[in-house]
Amino acid sequence: MISSAVPSVLKDNVRELIPTAKILVVGAGGIGCEVLKNLALSGFSDIEIIDLDTIDVSNLNRQFLFRKEHVGKSKAEVAKESILNYNPDISIKAYHDSITSQEYGVNFFKRFSVVLNALDNRAARNHVNRMCLAADVPLIESGTAGYSGQVQFIKKGVTQCYECQPKPPQKSFPGCTIRNTPSEPVHCIVWAKHLFNQLFGEDDPDQDVSPDTADPEAAGSVANNLHQSTDAGNVQRTSTRQWAQQTDYSDVKLFNKFFNDDINYLLSMENLWKSRKPPEPITWEAATACEGEKKEISDDVASDMEVWPMYLCAEIFSSTIGTLKKELVNKEFLIWDKDDKVALNFVTACANIRAHIFSIAKKSRWDIKSIAGNIIPAIATTNAMIAGLVVLIAFRVLAEDYEECQSIYLRQKSVHSNIILAPDFFIDKANPNCYVCAEQPYVSVYVNVEEMTVKEFESEVLKKTLNMIAPDVILDGKGVFVISSEEGETEINNDKKLSALGIVDGSILKADDFLQNYNLTIGITNYIAEKDEPLFKIDAKSEELQPNQQNGRQNGSTDKSAQQENDMEVDDDKNDVEFIAPPVDDDDPQEGTSTKKRKLNPPEDEDEDLIMLDDP
Amino acid sequence: MSEKELSAAEAELYDRQIRLWGIESQSRLRAANVLLIGIRGLGSEIAKNILLSGINSLTILDEGVVTENELLQNFLLNRDSIGQKIAEAVLSKAQALNPLVKITTDTSPLSEKTSAFYKDFTIIVATGLTTKQLIEIDSICRDFNVQFICGDVFGMFGYSLSDFQMHEYYVDQIRLPNRKRAHDGKASTSSEVITEKIQAKLNYPSINDALLNADSSAKGRRKRGLQLYYLMKLLIQFRDKNGRNPSVSSKDDDLAQMKAIRNEYLQDYQIKEENFKADVLNLVFGEITPICSIVGGVVAQEVIKAVSHKEAPIHNIFLLNPYTFSGKEEMVGA
Repeated sequence: MISSAVPSVLKDNVRELIPTAKILVVGAGGIGCEVLKNLALSGFSDIEIIDLDTIDVSNLNRQFLFRKEHVGKSKAEVAKESILNYNPDISIKAYHDSITSQEYGVNFFKRFSVVLNALDNRAARNHVNRMCLAADVPLIESGTAGYSGQVQFIKKGVTQCYECQPKPPQKSFPGCTIRNTPSEPVHCIVWAKHLFNQLFGEDDPDQDVSPDTADPEAAGSVANNLHQSTDAGNVQRTSTRQWAQQTDYSDVKLFNKFFNDDINYLLSMENLWKSRKPPEPITWEAATACEGEKKEISDDVASDMEVWPMYLCAEIFSSTIGTLKKELVNKEFLIWDKDDKVALNFVTACANIRAHIFSIAKKSRWDIKSIAGNIIPAIATTNAMIAGLVVLIAFRVLAEDYEECQSIYLRQKSVHSNIILAPDFFIDKANPNCYVCAEQPYVSVYVNVEEMTVKEFESEVLKKTLNMIAPDVILDGKGVFVISSEEGETEINNDKKLSALGIVDGSILKADDFLQNYNLTIGITNYIAEKDEPLFKIDAKSEELQPNQQNGRQNGSTDKSAQQENDMEVDDDKNDVEFIAPPVDDDDPQEGTSTKKRKLNPPEDEDEDLIMLDDP
Repeated sequence: MSEKELSAAEAELYDRQIRLWGIESQSRLRAANVLLIGIRGLGSEIAKNILLSGINSLTILDEGVVTENELLQNFLLNRDSIGQKIAEAVLSKAQALNPLVKITTDTSPLSEKTSAFYKDFTIIVATGLTTKQLIEIDSICRDFNVQFICGDVFGMFGYSLSDFQMHEYYVDQIRLPNRKRAHDGKASTSSEVITEKIQAKLNYPSINDALLNADSSAKGRRKRGLQLYYLMKLLIQFRDKNGRNPSVSSKDDDLAQMKAIRNEYLQDYQIKEENFKADVLNLVFGEITPICSIVGGVVAQEVIKAVSHKEAPIHNIFLLNPYTFSGKEEMVGA
């Protein structure tokens, strides 16, 4: 009976393969639920599903295998039960776990006929990409964001890998914009989140909130002459946290420092205000005396979308500090979470007080939650369409009809376009210099070898940027063991600068990630970051990082739509990602954002973890 | 809870979509009463998507009975459903998708329905109907100002066809203010934007015009683009004659019959042989779930646009290419 669910119009060889094909679905979120349903109703009967997440109320508008009573439970487990309820004969195995965990090595991946990604973050996508390359298993990538989505087939030696095209870095703002000269609401929101972390969160020196006297634009200002600026460019050496503790988190003292004294200090940096409207400091007394309609905060959407008057911001500043201070007792630090009402209220109040001071538009708590929490809108229909395409492509992958597995883009209908689903014309060929799937992967790393420690190199460069999980690193030609994935072997190196181990300009490192079966050669270039430049940069062979010209020409004259968006993203909101940016293209305002450089000609772009748009 | 304001619980549940289409759209959805005719493979997908979106009520009209074959294509059923009325059998799983929506099931024959039955719905969504039924219901919809959309899945092919009459809608046009320069001299990538509400209108041809009075004067390029339109027309015509869709169990006969209709079309509409190849007819058997997933997504999204009067809707036909999975809008019948 199961076998009759296999579509009759498929080729015989595919029809035979479907009932026994072993499928891994990575992610049981919006796309994952739809993919599981499509698999189960297409005759697939050997499925494994892995997801680390638990179910949240805000998932239920699209993750239809879950219901209210499942909130808090494992997505993978509940999805499995839901599919078994439809058809108890399907063999389905659920893992409530992270796919990047060491248990899921190359041999785990080798068991599958095809892997279907339904993920919501770039790090996990990169990892699964590498595992599938190492195991030589075909991968179908997919992602949605709002009305847009994408499906991409990836196979070693046949197509591009997920990392062949460089992706723009996460959106960040110059420190001096955040600390000295905000001009947009988002600058105030970022500042307010930093303030939360300074007062209650984990220490992060990159999140200073006090005036930055090292701002080059302020050079020559009076303030610089009056105050001894420190190496780090901060006004005082006592950390914000220590100072707050000394005042026992006094709401009035904290308010006056951040919104009056620090602003007065900024005003003394006169050069900053020659071509800008100077900020207007506000004291606790003035803020609480502000006129404003008396109101209660309530949780319905309409009031969530209202902008709080100043007196209310001050009141909420005060009350949230009281609550957060109590939460901090017995804890080392708090972690900011968009779904924590108190933390969100604190950020909303602080961002708006700062916006008021700098004459920037104030925002509602609703809007601030979107921006501060990097929320990506997500709907059932988009996920259903993309998941349908995923399984249709899976049929072709099983048949090894790879030439028919072009990427397909879902685009929002607009009056300017009659295309809703736009397939590419060709399979994208691999970038020969991709630092992941090339024969001999190579990447250049630009880093200050005198400043960066081995530990920082491991966590920031190798893990966070190059997405390795457990690298071993040797300094080539010297045989120096720099980093070991075995505990205890190289801890002694952790706090040493790179140069202390002999890593200098022109050094070559050999990095090996055993789990990912990934060997990478790293060329080191010494680089001293200018102010507001990133501390380090990475680069494959730069001439190869340009948009894929060859494909551009091939597709160029034909279907405009096929050349558009090129990235895939997620289907949920995650904080490890980027920033949602408003679309720029007037012709098609909805197609907004992308994590991947557009490979072909101009117009739009789209996506889901979200990112600022690039220029065409 | 007042009629107008969304509760905190609704805001939480619908958060990710309100952030996409706005609270005004959500309020309009919340007031919408939808009739869904036919809850088979495609119907179940449409039902899922519009229930999740948070409409006020859904009426499911289907007189059919669950067979093994239906079970294979409908995730709202399970094995215990066999032999039950299909509209009733889907109820518990459909309701579980969204307890806030009032669901009514109706297992009486479509032929018994009078215009009074249709007139109070906001929108009617039809699957599996004949040309005559589609035209009749659409004409009632026009009398009572009810929006209408229909769609079907035939094997690897699917379509949707809308009649939203004179449809007024708006889009949020977003533009950047004049570019500021950051103090480092680089153009700032400002995230501040100006949103403008742009009003627009679309006039839809009736289903009668879209199906029967397609402009036969279309030439060359346009006609090639319409191959899938003629395929759609052919399949509905097959259903008109046989009272069912093409079936694998009578594949040879059905293929022969469809080829005959195709040959008539080549003549009647002066379509070139190579622009409407007979091969595609091999792909139209069965109601394939991933195709239902796509077309069900398209139809439900059109319902959401129709009801919320936000975003440009498909005007008036969506056609899914069974080979490339390209999906395009075609305007036919005006």
